[in-house]
Amino acid sequence: MNIHWTEQVSDDWVEIKTELDRAFQMSRAAARAEESFVYVVHSDDLLGRRGSGNAMVATGLLSAARTAAIEGSRKGWTANVIAYDEDADPEQVTRWASWMLDSSGATGELIRIGFSHLGKALP
Amino acid sequence: MNGAIVVTGAARGIGRAIAERLAANPLFTVIGVDLAPELAMSEDITPVQVDLTTDEGLAEVKRVVEVANVPLLGLVNNAGITRDSRLINMTDEDFSAVLEVNLGAAYRLSTELADHFNEGGSIVNIASRAYLGNFGQYNYSMSKGGVVGLTRALALSLAPHIRVNAIAPGLIGTEMAMAIPEDVLGKMVSAIPLGRMGSPEEIANVVWFLLTPLSSYVTGHVVVVGGGRSLS
Repeated sequence: MNIHWTEQVSDDWVEIKTELDRAFQMSRAAARAEESFVYVVHSDDLLGRRGSGNAMVATGLLSAARTAAIEGSRKGWTANVIAYDEDADPEQVTRWASWMLDSSGATGELIRIGFSHLGKALP
Repeated sequence: MNGAIVVTGAARGIGRAIAERLAANPLFTVIGVDLAPELAMSEDITPVQVDLTTDEGLAEVKRVVEVANVPLLGLVNNAGITRDSRLINMTDEDFSAVLEVNLGAAYRLSTELADHFNEGGSIVNIASRAYLGNFGQYNYSMSKGGVVGLTRALALSLAPHIRVNAIAPGLIGTEMAMAIPEDVLGKMVSAIPLGRMGSPEEIANVVWFLLTPLSSYVTGHVVVVGGGRSLS
């Protein structure tokens, strides 16, 4: 399954870059196989609430997914992002990620599971 | 308001325009940072020719700020490179190089200088409209998206002492844009509602707004300066 579950990182640049590289390696392999992929991030990180390292990873992946989605739209594969709240049910997150992998209709989208984003800035 | 402002990627294009716009004000000591030697061509800008992806380069910028012996008012993280290709063809080297310069250097320099800021200081990160997605720029888009996250996280962690914002320029008339084949450039411009490329000076104007007390209640935001291209 081409699902990148983002690991929490410290504010060490090497650790941050390693996490982004891990997503890149999975995404490139998926794209070469013309397969869809999904990134899973924490909702707080899209707004920078858990430190610079986690924020750079989450928002970097969101932008990368948007670009990948443009490239995949010509070949029929998709790239999407799931963001979850701290108290989200892991099974529910997995169900959404699996569904996004199977869905050819939506690409470049951010699906937020939970309520913490309501009334806040759009990423 | 008298003090120093550090501008990275200051030798050419948008960075040059920002540095010159700021240097025109006698209250500011502008420290221009770049790997390219053209930086030394302007006598109003203190040049620092270093590689910002190295520990030595970051330490040298910090040393110059300390030697300047004036309060640090601002930092403009503008240095950036592109290594474009489709995701399926992107090499590990091109992915890494863009991340290191566009995101790593901005992050590490901001961290290095955070303790040097005067109360009321301001950081402006130059992102790109590509953070919304752009064909053939997986690495660049990721790096600029990361800059947006960095902006938000620093805005929270450095408040209320330092404000942090970002600018996302669209197509700007720099050397890089002029190198695009004429027919391709024409199509790109035709998709811009304002019907033209932006100028580096138009980015510099927004940097001025975000660096100065004109924007004293603004932090954690991304200002898209792209002639409406994100809508069309």
